[in-house]
Amino acid sequence: MASRFWTQGGDSETEEEESDYEQEDNEVPVEDINKAAKSKYLQGSDTESDDEDGQKRVVKSVKDKRFEEMTATIDQMKNAMKINDWVSLQESFDKINKQLEKVMRVNESDRVPNVYIKALVMLEDFLNQALANKEAKKKMSSSNAKALNSMKQKLKKNNKQYEEMINKYRENPEVEEEEDGDDDDEDGEEEDSEFEEDPSKLGMESDAEEDEDKEAGEDDANETGPGWEKMMSKKDKLMDKQFKDPSQITWDTVNKKFKEIVAARGRKGTGRIELVEQLTFLTRVAKTPAQKLEILFSVVSAQFDVNPSLNTHMPINVWKKCVQNLLTILDILTQYANIVVDDMVEPDENETQKGTDYNGAIRIWGNLVAFLERIDVEFFKSLQVIDPHTREYIERLRDEPTLAVLSQNVQEYLERAGDNKGAAKVALKRVELIYYKPQEVYDAMRKLAEQNEGGEGETDGEPKAVEESRAPPSFVATPEIVPRKPTFPESSRTLMDILVSLIYRSGDERTKARAMLCDIYHHALLDEFSTSRDLLLMSHLQDSIQHMDISTQILFNRAMAQLGLSAVRVGLIAEGHSCLCELYSAGRVKELLAQGVSQSRFHEKTPEQERMERRRQMPYHMHINLELLEAVHLICAMLLEVPNMAANSHDAKRKVISKTFRRLLEVSERQTFTGPPENVRDHVMAATRALRQGDYQKAFDVINSLDIWRLLRNKDSVLEMLRAKIKEEALRTYLFTYSSSYDSLSLDQLAKMFDLSDKQTHSIVSKMMITEELHASWDQPTRCMVFHDVEHTRLQALAFHLTEKLTVLAESNERAQESRIGGGGLENLPLRRRDGHDYAAAAAASGGTARWQDLSFSQGRHGTGGGRTGYNAGGRTYSGQAGGFSRDRTGQSRGVGRTYQTGSAARASQMDGSTRMVSLNRGAYA
Amino acid sequence: MANYDLTPRIAPNLDRHLVFPLLEFLQERQLYPDQDILRAKLELLNQTNMVDYAMDIHRAFYHTEDVPQDMVDRRAEVVARLKALEEGASPLVSFLQNENAYQELRAEKQYNLQMLNERYQIGPEQIEALYQYAKFQFECGNYSGAADYLYLYRTLCTNSERSLSALWGKLAAEILMQNWDIALEELNRVKEIIDSKSFSSPLNQVQNRIWLMHWSLFIFFNHDNGRTQIIDLFNQDKYLNAIQTSAPHLLRYLATAFVVNKRRRPQFKDFIKVIQQEQYSYEDPITEFLACVYVKYDFDAAQQKMRECEEVILNDPFLGKRAEEGNFASVPLRDEFLENARLFIFETYCRIHQRIDMGVLAEKLNLNYEEAERWIVNLIRTSKLDAKIDSKTGTVLMEPNQPNVYEQLIDHTKALSGRTSKLVSQLLEHAQTQQAAR
Repeated sequence: MASRFWTQGGDSETEEEESDYEQEDNEVPVEDINKAAKSKYLQGSDTESDDEDGQKRVVKSVKDKRFEEMTATIDQMKNAMKINDWVSLQESFDKINKQLEKVMRVNESDRVPNVYIKALVMLEDFLNQALANKEAKKKMSSSNAKALNSMKQKLKKNNKQYEEMINKYRENPEVEEEEDGDDDDEDGEEEDSEFEEDPSKLGMESDAEEDEDKEAGEDDANETGPGWEKMMSKKDKLMDKQFKDPSQITWDTVNKKFKEIVAARGRKGTGRIELVEQLTFLTRVAKTPAQKLEILFSVVSAQFDVNPSLNTHMPINVWKKCVQNLLTILDILTQYANIVVDDMVEPDENETQKGTDYNGAIRIWGNLVAFLERIDVEFFKSLQVIDPHTREYIERLRDEPTLAVLSQNVQEYLERAGDNKGAAKVALKRVELIYYKPQEVYDAMRKLAEQNEGGEGETDGEPKAVEESRAPPSFVATPEIVPRKPTFPESSRTLMDILVSLIYRSGDERTKARAMLCDIYHHALLDEFSTSRDLLLMSHLQDSIQHMDISTQILFNRAMAQLGLSAVRVGLIAEGHSCLCELYSAGRVKELLAQGVSQSRFHEKTPEQERMERRRQMPYHMHINLELLEAVHLICAMLLEVPNMAANSHDAKRKVISKTFRRLLEVSERQTFTGPPENVRDHVMAATRALRQGDYQKAFDVINSLDIWRLLRNKDSVLEMLRAKIKEEALRTYLFTYSSSYDSLSLDQLAKMFDLSDKQTHSIVSKMMITEELHASWDQPTRCMVFHDVEHTRLQALAFHLTEKLTVLAESNERAQESRIGGGGLENLPLRRRDGHDYAAAAAASGGTARWQDLSFSQGRHGTGGGRTGYNAGGRTYSGQAGGFSRDRTGQSRGVGRTYQTGSAARASQMDGSTRMVSLNRGAYA
Repeated sequence: MANYDLTPRIAPNLDRHLVFPLLEFLQERQLYPDQDILRAKLELLNQTNMVDYAMDIHRAFYHTEDVPQDMVDRRAEVVARLKALEEGASPLVSFLQNENAYQELRAEKQYNLQMLNERYQIGPEQIEALYQYAKFQFECGNYSGAADYLYLYRTLCTNSERSLSALWGKLAAEILMQNWDIALEELNRVKEIIDSKSFSSPLNQVQNRIWLMHWSLFIFFNHDNGRTQIIDLFNQDKYLNAIQTSAPHLLRYLATAFVVNKRRRPQFKDFIKVIQQEQYSYEDPITEFLACVYVKYDFDAAQQKMRECEEVILNDPFLGKRAEEGNFASVPLRDEFLENARLFIFETYCRIHQRIDMGVLAEKLNLNYEEAERWIVNLIRTSKLDAKIDSKTGTVLMEPNQPNVYEQLIDHTKALSGRTSKLVSQLLEHAQTQQAAR
């Protein structure tokens, strides 16, 4: 951690600074406590370094930015004064007025910042000076003089508004501020919120003022510094008046103060960070554990409020503190088992008065699960926002173990408390932290978690001890009971299994569905295609996914993509294709996977939509590589489509496996010149051209030259598999294309042509014969295949088409009639379906270990034909089911696809529509 | 060959008592050391009340005449408990054994209960006692007694859950007594209850189906008609799903049944797909054989597998049942399986060939040349095969079997008119009823 470097130096610096001021101040004892409180706040974890760091980081609150702008403008003005440049001075003046508005708006206050007043005073002085100096005035250029005059008028007008304050300031620059601070408590806080949100800003401010030192009156700057310090102490004095003497603090005073602070929350003019600080102070003086807990809960929710916007994330240092607070909460809860956290009951007013010796249950309002979920969301958001190519992103990722340990502890606590539903929710968060990690990444995280702990302990130990000794002991000491170190089992699979089975036992529907999807994803990641397919099928998620929320749908898409990849890794091309083709059918993969926004020409998104979409994006480290995905999809499509096209050469539009692929092929064929392949698409198209001519070697070489393969773990075996598949499909394509030119072909020659073994060739060709794709038979003694000429004539082929359509027509008639009058034929359907759901539930209940694939099986059963076509039908289960989902969302682009089909294709598209109906109906059967 | 033994996978799904026949078989085949089997038996018996039998085995196992004291104690305890239970159930038993009294029972359960209660002072406790008694009888190995009592119990029982377990008990008893016909009836009864909607949880239902299928193996491979019925049962969607979910090893029996069955069944193709799908979770020579013939078209491997299948069948307690004829023992299922498997290979082989060398064919079929020729001639004669033998070159010539285009067209459209007219009639009917309604 870079910040560790700063810890030592930065720390002592602030302390020194403070002690300097201390000497100047007279109120030493108060100051002491004040500082202690402050340092306690800072010391909460290793965060003090972060505060110091704030300056280095880009993340700055809006307020900071505005303030910075303002001081910068003042600097500009000073420079202008030095050279007597009234033109630029005038510009700066206009600018600062505009900035003032902004500052006021951001601070939500109606008080003018002192910096501004100071600038006004300075300006006035200088103006008077310039006016007095007639000689110099004469020497000015005309434009300059003009500016001086207009400036005079403007300033006069402007200063009238702030007359009172300016006068006050002039009278006594120091007192002015103190008075303000004294006004009342509320006001004081607000004042602070302007000035003391962040130590970093303080540094910056004094920097700016140091500049001033050199130029203008030195006194000014000196006074502002201590002035600020004093003010701070003033405020705390008020606070500490009540708490000065530890012996005088009673539960009542703390409670009263607590109520007061909480009541101020959300009110206009209450500094958010300030609120957090005050509450943090209160946790130290809390009298009973229950009270401390109650206050801690408020601290956490106040911390959540620090960042009001939905689109930006919580400052990281606040996030870390928040995590620490939650851990402390858990400490208390573990220590005092009789304290119950609940968000349903309205707690008794004096519930927290009951001390440690109270035996009954103490009810405190709070919701750990909600807090944890919020923490998780903030973490996620910060990862979305941070540029993934920076170091910052990596730093942020390192916080993952912290989150893991927190959720682990919360889960354990909830399990102990018997809140299984909550525990399941938390377990889901943990699952979502690890499901996308392959074993290697998981190991790395585990190592990091172990290292991190060791390292942090060392560096943190010392400063912590120092601070601890200086701070007064808090009334309720909370030893660190819950472990601060996450424990990860050896393999990610084990962890997943534990968590997922917990969720299946006691989660609600959405939690279960999400856990199931994560489980599927993870299995697929580990190359266990069959397991994850079974999980998908028995959970029936494809049916219900379109009714779920969008983020779950995205998760579903991700799982499907991963499933497709894993299918291809284990060599199941058809399955892989049917998993992936839905994602690609509309060309909006990026959107479907939430990995970027794709522009659509056809409809503009409203800013609202765009914002929503941005909020759904996956952080970079969770992305599935799109190039790899596209390559895998297109290669699958190629392997299936090329022989298919060869088989149906006379009627190309009849059976289309992948429309996307066909379209791409058409486009690439229309090109006059084909250059060397550049992107994934070009590569696959080049391979397709080679494959169509039966040149398997070239096809493979082109595919092999893609550099995305290095992303695969078992690259060699996958490529080997692809090679084998390409050969096989090349052989099939060759046979389809040229069989009509041969009377017989010898096995040996075929085997040699495609570099396959005799056995493989024989098996492939036999399969084609059996499924009647190839009208031929073996002549065993001569090891030849003899082709039979059974080509249908044009008329016969048309007659077959006609009968096919008649069948379709009859079927749709029957269906229409059934839906109209509810015929008897479908009576057994609902029953069967219900049974299926039963199984799904059963399988889910058994912890997802059971296997069941009713769907693909019965789907296959309804599919027509044997062998290869039947196989496809089985595979189509996915698309048939998942289809509904993405089709819903991509309806309009399907229309686009249609426009490609021209004139004569109308018939085909109509056909297509009817088959879709059929296949959907099949889905209903299953 | 022990690696294809399914006993460890089957046993957990069976009743304790049902495992004995399996162990007996294994002992006979000598797949495992005798000692292991004896120990397994002893462990089984420890949980039952068949103490005498346990003592016997103990003696055989340790080669001693002594019996440990706890067994003796247990025996006394069992006997005492048996007595106590008998007493508890005696009023009802004596009632039921009385022909005249028994006649008074009617079909209506509620009435019966009331009647018993009023006239014979037989209340729910006695009925419960009957159940316990029957259960105890079963555990002691007195299956016929248990079966009788359980039957009687079921006529009086009102608790559906109890009734189901009584039914299971009856099924087990009948199986152990080898009354296959009655067992089959009981099996169907259990099946009905399982498939009924009122079953508690889906998970439970699946588990029960799996038990049922395991138990049914005893019946199906012993009953004359079992081989078709096993397909009917196992191949139902629900049951096939259960197999795929948690008991893929049952695929072996289903596969065997498919092979052995004379009639080719329409479900066969789908079954092949299931086998293909389950390859990752279960494989044994029988399923592999089918995969070789129907998926990979690798006939050499198929032949290899066929030989392994023979071994598997011989060593399987259900498949390898012996039929004794005089002093000549044979395993009828093995012969049938091999014959049919040969036919499978041959059929597929012929479909993709035009001309086959007889020598090669004989080799593929595990026959010698003469046998092969006779076999083929037989097939041709029974017109199972459309082929001719060219005896000069020693080849079989297939007759080209191209379906006529016109026939195909007619086939396609034949059903249409029927369907349409049915549709019309339904529509008309509907219209009429609607008119009537108005």
